[in-house]
Amino acid sequence: MDFSIFGQMAESGAAMGMAYALIAYGFQLTYAPSKSVNFGQAECVMLSAFIALTLIGTGMNYALAVGLTLVAGAALGMLVERVAVRLALQQKNEGWILLTIIFGLFGGSVAENIWGRDDRPLPTPIPADPIAVGSISVTWYEISIVVGALALMIIIELFRRKTLLGKAVEAVAADPEVAGLMGISSNTAISLAFALSGATAAFAGILIAPITTVGPTMAAGLILKAFSVAVVAGLESGFGVIVAGLVLGMLESLTSVYIGSGWREAPGIILLVAILALRPNGLFGKATVRKV
Amino acid sequence: MATSTFSRNQVIRGVELLALIALAVLGLVLGQSAYAVGLLTLLVIYGISLIGLDATVGYLGQVNLAHAGFMGLGGYAAGLMVAHFGVGLLPALCVSILIGLVLGGLLAVPALRLEGPQFALATLSFGTFAVLCLNELESITNGAQGLSLVRPALLGKGTLDAQTFYWVCLALLAFVWLGARRLMEGRWGRAIAALKDSPIATDAMGIGTLRHKVLAFAFGSALGAFAGGLYAFNLGFLQPQAFGYELSVTLLLGSVLGGRKTVWGALVGAGLVVLLPNLLSNRSVFLAFAGIGAVLAIGRALLAMRRRELAFPTIAPALAMALLLGIALKTPDLESWRKGLFALILFAVVVGLPDGLMGFVSQALARLVRLPLPPLPTAAPLDAVLPNRSAGGRPVLDVSGLKLYFGGVRAIDGVSLQVAPGEVLGLIGPNGSGKSSLVNVVTGLYTPTEGGVTLDGQRIESKGLLAASRHGVSRTFQNLQIFGDLSALDNVSVSLRGAYRLIWPLVAAGFGDAEERAAQSHALALLELVGLTDKARIRARDLTYSDQRFMEIARALASKPVLLVLDEPAAGMSKPDVAKLKTVIARIKARGISIILIEHHLDVVAELTDRVVVLDGGKEIAQGVAEDVRRNPQVIEAYLGSAAHTEASA
Amino acid sequence: MNRTGHYVALALLTLAGAAQADSIKIALTGPFSGGSAPMGVSTRDGAKLAIQEINAAGGLKIGAKKYTIDVVERDDEAKNERGALVAQELSSMTDLVAVVGTANTGVVLAGDKFYQQAKKPRIISVAAGSAAMGQWTKEPTVVPKGELYVFRFSANDGVQSEVIIEEAIKRQGLKKLAILADDTNYGVSGRDDLVKRLAAIPGVEVVANEKFSIGSKDMTAQLLKAKSAGAQGLFVVGIGPELAAIANGMGKLGYKVPFMGSWTLSMGNFLDNAGAAANGAMMPQTFIQEDFTKRAQTFIGAYKAAYKVDRIPSPVSAAQGYDSIKLLAAAIEQAGSTDGTAIKNALENLNKPVEGAIAKWTHPYSSWDPAHPETHEAFRKERVVVGVAKDGHVTFAHEEDKKRLESLDR
Repeated sequence: MDFSIFGQMAESGAAMGMAYALIAYGFQLTYAPSKSVNFGQAECVMLSAFIALTLIGTGMNYALAVGLTLVAGAALGMLVERVAVRLALQQKNEGWILLTIIFGLFGGSVAENIWGRDDRPLPTPIPADPIAVGSISVTWYEISIVVGALALMIIIELFRRKTLLGKAVEAVAADPEVAGLMGISSNTAISLAFALSGATAAFAGILIAPITTVGPTMAAGLILKAFSVAVVAGLESGFGVIVAGLVLGMLESLTSVYIGSGWREAPGIILLVAILALRPNGLFGKATVRKV
Repeated sequence: MATSTFSRNQVIRGVELLALIALAVLGLVLGQSAYAVGLLTLLVIYGISLIGLDATVGYLGQVNLAHAGFMGLGGYAAGLMVAHFGVGLLPALCVSILIGLVLGGLLAVPALRLEGPQFALATLSFGTFAVLCLNELESITNGAQGLSLVRPALLGKGTLDAQTFYWVCLALLAFVWLGARRLMEGRWGRAIAALKDSPIATDAMGIGTLRHKVLAFAFGSALGAFAGGLYAFNLGFLQPQAFGYELSVTLLLGSVLGGRKTVWGALVGAGLVVLLPNLLSNRSVFLAFAGIGAVLAIGRALLAMRRRELAFPTIAPALAMALLLGIALKTPDLESWRKGLFALILFAVVVGLPDGLMGFVSQALARLVRLPLPPLPTAAPLDAVLPNRSAGGRPVLDVSGLKLYFGGVRAIDGVSLQVAPGEVLGLIGPNGSGKSSLVNVVTGLYTPTEGGVTLDGQRIESKGLLAASRHGVSRTFQNLQIFGDLSALDNVSVSLRGAYRLIWPLVAAGFGDAEERAAQSHALALLELVGLTDKARIRARDLTYSDQRFMEIARALASKPVLLVLDEPAAGMSKPDVAKLKTVIARIKARGISIILIEHHLDVVAELTDRVVVLDGGKEIAQGVAEDVRRNPQVIEAYLGSAAHTEASA
Repeated sequence: MNRTGHYVALALLTLAGAAQADSIKIALTGPFSGGSAPMGVSTRDGAKLAIQEINAAGGLKIGAKKYTIDVVERDDEAKNERGALVAQELSSMTDLVAVVGTANTGVVLAGDKFYQQAKKPRIISVAAGSAAMGQWTKEPTVVPKGELYVFRFSANDGVQSEVIIEEAIKRQGLKKLAILADDTNYGVSGRDDLVKRLAAIPGVEVVANEKFSIGSKDMTAQLLKAKSAGAQGLFVVGIGPELAAIANGMGKLGYKVPFMGSWTLSMGNFLDNAGAAANGAMMPQTFIQEDFTKRAQTFIGAYKAAYKVDRIPSPVSAAQGYDSIKLLAAAIEQAGSTDGTAIKNALENLNKPVEGAIAKWTHPYSSWDPAHPETHEAFRKERVVVGVAKDGHVTFAHEEDKKRLESLDR
């Protein structure tokens, strides 16, 4: 009897944890070449989900709607880079933190005014009925989050490692000046990285919408958790985010049942602060050397 | 154009006083409307909060998302004190301040090592956690249902009405203003600004990044908690959700909007944040403001276009303001676009006016109003600042068997050397030979893999930059690490060892002036030594490159070192400046301070050094007098890579 | 101009001045954004419908002149401290005659003291927490006889829980119940009321008592605890989005038990977000979007036409907003002035029946007595029916409820 509660909570926690991992992965994509992340990513998730809602509402094929939403997400990502990040990178300061926050604020306002402030369900061909695995109930939504997140991460990893464009981004990540000398524009590479990050955010929005519904606050808490995952794993750790995501998701879930549902965010926060204090480069990251 | 910071400070101070008086007048005039008084009080409270936030955002230059959390903690602390123990307003606020100081200090410890996004995240986490605890600890705080409060009288029984409470808040604001101003204009503020410009130099000069970062954060958080206490009593109601991410972002943006490092900016930011919702409900007023803003931004862009200087920082604000005006004209209900309109204004200011609205205005004013500067004190005699050191005795520096490996790279591979008191040791070698690594170990930046460093009798190899500095080594940097925002004088004075002994409450109370003038006079002596007396007030980043190098030397001497490391001081200097440098180094040597000199200019090395050590590939390959070393075949091979006996030219 | 000309001009000007319509201001407050928005928006729109009807007929007759009603809208965002700010602002507006609205108990608790201090008549159109009236019955905020300016025009949670408990215990025979309530003032107040009443019924046990926050989407933990404690039915107290999360959570766990609770289970955002999982949810209602009486039919038709919707986001809120204005208007006309105290007295002594969307109201209020808070409450148990969610809208759960309302209307 007790195991079934434990198992159930671990299962639903792991599923959400994969969603955090996907968004964290998106953060890593932009951090590598530019040392910056989009602090307004929650609003990008939300805007993409609303776009998906509208597209699906026109009656078009679901897969097509998803594809177009990913494109829209990528476009959003590039917009963020051009408007909120590039200037700070050129000035070599951290103004992008504030500017992406401001961008998110504006995006949220646009969403509220175009789509209203209500939470709405996202029509999806995925069935709502659960499957019983032993005494644990698993929904297809949760399966789709895990499978979808993994699939997208693998696709993007393949892109980074196997295609020329992907390797160009890696080059910029390693040494922007030399890459520039080799004819690889760091602006283009970083723009591409943000486009990919925007696409992951859009996909994450579509995956979690059946559970969270589409609304102005659908991703609000999600971003801090995705940040926690990214930092705990290490901002340059690659697939370490999957481990960190699963652990964090399960911790959250188990805390909510054994300690109290209001405390569910606590372990993630404590873990984040502990990692920042003791191993700022994350569990799977590499230590860097200061040069003077 | 070089801007002197001094007259600007005076102008700003005058305007701040006017702002306070204006608030007092408004309070009298609008006293009858409870709502207006409530708004004004909120403005004052946010002003206090933003002055606190400025410590991390304006001075440290970091994004702090925990401030709302501190306001919440302070608010609940004060509220619970009154609700459960019936204390008066002032004791309750003292508890708030204490909570802010302690928790702020505690949070600063893990956050201390972080920069940029990690710091923002750490503060965001803390803020979220604070709200979470306030929400869940229902038995203490009443959780999400909230806590109703009355306004207690200052010291005990009874309550305050809204009007009186406003006067109390205004008085507290004035109090905070005076104290914060004195602290921030004095050494504390300078240390924090230095910290932002170069944390490494701040430690290397013995000022201490850890200490000041923690203090800045604790101070700011204490003020935030204080403001939170006032906030709780103003509204008469507390709820955890009010102190979440949204409020932190609002405060942050108010701070950025108003401008860094000025109380005036904090008040303007507070005003905009508090009044914006009301501004939006009055459509014509808002349209007027938006129109003016758009005209200014677009006008600026057009001017830049005419001068062919069009760039993102001028185009983007113009576009943002145009979009603002467009939305404002098309929407009947401005309130529904509140966040978006706020975001557009902020974007325009952050990109177009990086010093905030008031930073821009005060800079413009300073250009128009030229006030005479108060005279600087006379320079102290050099003996008082930099006492002569006697020669002889044990070595000042003893390096034995030093190894520094970075993974597979052997930066230093077994080096031993000594520096006698009053000796000038040259350290030369081709690029990558380990010279910089060696001095980085000696000054405490790196901990060696093996071996020991003894400075003036103390083992310091694993103690870090700050400890090394305190034990008597100081340095200049190959890539300049100046405190760009501070004047040349301030760069030196902030690094003076032992000059500031007064505890901060006394400084805040206004007793720091004598100490300040003494420090200035000492700093001037050092500037005189390097020939920068008439450039004392110029902001360091506006100095010429050579002057910056000289300033770094003066700054390094401020900590009264026994050993001074000069890392390629002549790099990039013109011939006359190199000559001047030689004179300066000779003067320093004459005072008995030991020097390690890394240099490629071999004439400087030949003229000034007593001995030279040559490194190559992390190992010492020659040692001796400059003349002899120059002719050493191994040395020539290391530099030129062949066995040809060419006369190494100077 | 000669003298005749002057007199003519003067006469024309006076006439022009007289013909110009005078107006009075009434404020409508509520959550127009966030999870509570369906309630706030519906209240506001229902109220505005009534105001438009009054204005179209020439306005309110106060004394000898007719006044049109100007609306001042304020969004309290369902946040208590915003509510306090709004209340502070409105209570110091000297030309504001009255305030109508508010859906959240916490907002009422934070703000109403300002209205009471300023002696501004105020009708709570939706908020149900008993504490909203309860605060005026005891120290330190007790209000003496006849001096309360706050009225409620909705069924408070005491009345609601009576009805829904009857449904669960008497009609459905449930013995073991779990309570899931949100952590706001409304949720806590509702939960406490349920617990108190259930404790008084022998043989009935509350086996699990769980809470959740606004914004939670994952109720698995709470539901698992209820399930493993053997709950035969769930009582829920919250608002739309979270209630939907509970329903969806039940679907995910395959946990199918009777699901009932606060009237908020009729909100559009619950029905939409829970989809099929919402079917069968039962809740107390004062108004159902069905043509069960002539007045209901008229109101629903007018609302649909004015706002171009098929389903009213929160029918209860809309109808209560409408009727609040009707009552207020009647009171103002009866008082013959815009003085707050006169209006309050008139509300307490309405001498003519008022035709509303919900009922024909005859003397709904009487002079305030802190020992009997129902003097300022308009709804009694017989006015409350049980609604059931079915395919995206709410309908009568029991035919006899429908008949009872029809008979009360004659």
